[in-house]
Formats: sequence, structure tokens, C-alpha cells
Amino acid sequence: MKRQLLKVPLLIFFIILLIFFYLLIIERNPSKIPSALLEKKFPNFEAQTLLKNKKFISSEQFGKEIILVNFFATWCAPCRDEHVFIKRFSDEKKIKIIGINYKDNSEKTKKWLKELGNPYNIIALDKNGQIAIDWGVYGIPETFVVNSKGIIKYRYVGPITKKIYKKINLIIKENN
Amino acid sequence: MLSKKIKIIVSIFILQLSFNSCYAVEPEEILNNTKQELRARNISKNIRCMICQNQSIDDSSAPIAKDLRILIRNKIKDGNNDEEIYQFLTDRYGDFILLNPSFKLNTFALWLLPLIFFIIGLIVIFVHNKKSKKLL
Repeated sequence: MKRQLLKVPLLIFFIILLIFFYLLIIERNPSKIPSALLEKKFPNFEAQTLLKNKKFISSEQFGKEIILVNFFATWCAPCRDEHVFIKRFSDEKKIKIIGINYKDNSEKTKKWLKELGNPYNIIALDKNGQIAIDWGVYGIPETFVVNSKGIIKYRYVGPITKKIYKKINLIIKENN
Repeated sequence: MLSKKIKIIVSIFILQLSFNSCYAVEPEEILNNTKQELRARNISKNIRCMICQNQSIDDSSAPIAKDLRILIRNKIKDGNNDEEIYQFLTDRYGDFILLNPSFKLNTFALWLLPLIFFIIGLIVIFVHNKKSKKLL
């Protein structure tokens, strides 16, 4: 019995080793944190809009159809990289996209959209970063999928790549 | 010539050491009410900078850390208590934003495992000692 007991630390050590090994081989990025807002209702906010002469009121926008929310800025280089995919969501998939222009210069944003094309149905201005905090955003670009009931189904931190584009499409299909 | 070089290197090293104790809080952020400022500092020390991750927002100079420091100070000025401020932040960023996570169902392993391992270690040492004594 006592001899068996001595084997316990060794067994625990190997179990921990196995867990560490498993975490090493699976595909994951420990620096990417899941959103605390997943499966919760979208955070309410009001803001000025970029190209329209009206106020952005979130309750008027969400809750009718599936929507992509994209936090972006002209000073953020990865935002330029992912823009082609944001455009594809709008042009090919006809998804409604709300852009949140994070701490940016409006004139520069207008120029940027003229150059790269505007995939956004409406753009809300987040001048002081308050909307981003309400959405739990910590590093732009960030993209959220909000379903037709206004529930956040997915969040991605970083520029959308081909792989993530496919993944978001799948989530859109599942929630449509 | 060589000693001059060494002097410069040592000076840089000492200067580097003194920077380690710097905080990121900027003068315009500091509240006039010292009691409120102290509360803000204490909360900030327990809030993780989501970009740097191993730094608190009190130490980090990342823009998001500054935004959160200002938000905490505004909430204190508005009369929110510490618990309400922590709740506001964890509602948006999850428990990960706390550098000192609370004892919950999903964090119990984090808190209890070291104690469990310690007890197992004690039992093993105790059994082993008893066995050695018998052999003597």
C-alpha cells in the first residue's frame, strides 16, 4: 500500500507532462483571449457617423439580420491587409457590415475608403475608444459576428486571413 | 580609455535599473483627491494590460492601458465602488483582466492545486521517512 502511494507523485508528474504536451501540439494562440461577450447581447452605444448625417444608435441597427462589426483605423496596417476580405463579405456575401472607426482622423478615413472601397453600410466614430472598451476590444482590427437576435456569436482579434474568412462564412451560414 | 568605456556602460546599467521602477501614469491623469487617486492606483495594479499581458495597466504605457486608467478614475469620480469597477471590467474583458483572479468554480484548480501538491508531497515524505526508520 505504502509502495503504491509513492508512485502517486510520479503519476501526477506524467499527467501534467501529458497536458503540457497536448497544449503544445494543438493549434492555439494563448495570447488570444476569448471574448467575455460571446453569447451575450451586443453592447448598446450611440455615436456620430462618418459619411451619413445622422447619429448611430445601436438599437436601431442590430437585431434584424446577421451583422459583421469591424473595428478599424487608417493608422493600423493590418486593417489595410484585411480590407479585401471585409469587401468580399459585402460584395459577395451581401452581409451588413458596421464599421467602428477607432481613434482616427475622419478626413484620412474618407480618403482611405475612397482608395480601397467602402464595404461598410454605416461607420460609427469611436473618437476616445469608449465603444471599443464596451465591446471588450484590446487590439484592432477586431471583428464580431452578431446574429439576427443581437447576440454576439463570434469574435476575432487580428486581421482576417483566408482561413478566418472561411471560418466567419461558416458561422454566418450556421446563424442565418 | 577602457575605464571610460566601462564607466559609460555602468552608468547606462544603473540608469536602466532606475527605469524599472517607473510607472506609466501620466501627470494629467492623476486625480486631485489623493484618497481617490490611491484607490485608482490600487485597482490599476490589479488590472492586466490586455496587450502586454504580463504588465498591469499601472505599469503599461500601451494606449488601451491609458484608456482604462482614465476610465477607472472617471468611475471613481462618479462614485462607483471598487467592486462595481471590477465588475464593469470583467463583464467586458472576462476574468483574464484580473491579475489576481477571484476564487470561482473555474479558477479553483489555480488556487487549490499548489496546496494539494504540497499535501501530497508531505504525505510522501512522511511515508518515506517512516519506511527508512523501520529499515534502520
